[in-house]
Amino acid sequence: MYKAVVIGGSAGSFQVITKILSSLPKNFPLPVLLSLHRLKHVRSGFVEALSIKSTIPILEPYDKENIKPGKGYLAPANYHMYIELNKRIALSTEEPVNHSRPSIDLTFETATQAYRDKLIGIILSGANRDGAYGLKKLKQAGGLAIVQDPNECQVKTMTEASLKLTTVDHIFTTDQIINFLLKLK
Amino acid sequence: MNRYELGIVDTRNIIKTLHDVYDYDFKNYALTFFKRRVEKFIIKHNLKDADGFIGRIESDEAFFEVFLQEICVENTEMFRDPSLWRVLKEELFPTLIKDSGTFKIWFPEVSSGEELFSTAIILKDLNLLKHVQLIASSISQLDIENTQKGLFDPKKIEVNDANYKRIFSSGELSNFYTFEGDKSHWDTSLIDNTKFIKQNIIFDDYPKGIKLVLFRNQMIYYNQILQERYIKTIYNSLVPGGHFIIGNNEKIDYWNSDKDFTLVNKEESIYKKKLA
Repeated sequence: MYKAVVIGGSAGSFQVITKILSSLPKNFPLPVLLSLHRLKHVRSGFVEALSIKSTIPILEPYDKENIKPGKGYLAPANYHMYIELNKRIALSTEEPVNHSRPSIDLTFETATQAYRDKLIGIILSGANRDGAYGLKKLKQAGGLAIVQDPNECQVKTMTEASLKLTTVDHIFTTDQIINFLLKLK
Repeated sequence: MNRYELGIVDTRNIIKTLHDVYDYDFKNYALTFFKRRVEKFIIKHNLKDADGFIGRIESDEAFFEVFLQEICVENTEMFRDPSLWRVLKEELFPTLIKDSGTFKIWFPEVSSGEELFSTAIILKDLNLLKHVQLIASSISQLDIENTQKGLFDPKKIEVNDANYKRIFSSGELSNFYTFEGDKSHWDTSLIDNTKFIKQNIIFDDYPKGIKLVLFRNQMIYYNQILQERYIKTIYNSLVPGGHFIIGNNEKIDYWNSDKDFTLVNKEESIYKKKLA
């Protein structure tokens, strides 16, 4: 019944993301939208690093690219990644939000407009407050909000900011996140 | 966070007003982008809602110019994607000058000017600045005026300086700008020879005989209809074999079925117009 998973992460989230992506079944039924803070002047390397262990293909989408199930879409360096109502990616070089481009808030907010209550949002380890507002919008629209257990996070700021703003559905460890995703049909 | 959400009917009314009153047709901008941008504008200028926006803008032409400036997305920084600028500096510019001794570069939307000044700084370093005609168009008169004055956002200084060092092994970007109080200015002698053109969204006229068009990360704000119109115009402005550079994560493949352009550098999204 869910149509997409959107994941936000920053400092300390790389290993978590890698573990999640390496645990998904090859035929994972949903698209995975990844808005992760990264060095803006380093264009290559990140998607390759994520791809090494991922069971599903991970790509840095082109502007207006169609979103398909079973693929991971990583926000490219120095772009915001929006989700359009027609389930396409729209890239943007508009000003940073919360000092971030990509902005997790903007990906979560636009994904919420596109998928409404059919969206799962996951906030992982990170060093700023980005994502908290986006997760709130997602939850308000009836989506399912998950936050990584702050006790497990390398940096807690992002998950704690999200928990402060939103009563989430689940506070999960990485393994629990994986188990949850494995049950999706 | 202060938010205001514009309905789809309101958005269409706004587009209609701008078209009727000023003959600027935004209907082929990417709709969600345009809507978001107008929402921000309404909040920033305390216009309350779509009616407030329409009432103010249709009676105040100077305010419409402010809108045009704010709908234009700024270039993010100087030398965005340093590897592209290294290709321009080390390969493309030297080749173009060897071929013809002089050439023209066109920026179809100069917005905040960073692509223009980055180009000028590299040309100056190569001692080519006086041999190259730079042409900068914009839908925003205010952007043109600010660019002519060399104004830029001092918040970008740090990233600009860092990018410069990723391209030049010696020297400092600060040789090309001054920073006093809260204002930063480029050395405008860099653009002494630049021609500026105020344009509408649909080009009535466009420069011809162009060897290189730099148009990165602007078409992402257009829908396919307007993208095609720009690409067609750019195609016509270029000489055979001329180059066309777009943003890293942009594509023109859907338009390019006749192989009018060949992708000659995939990493940097450099296309070349076919020879005949």
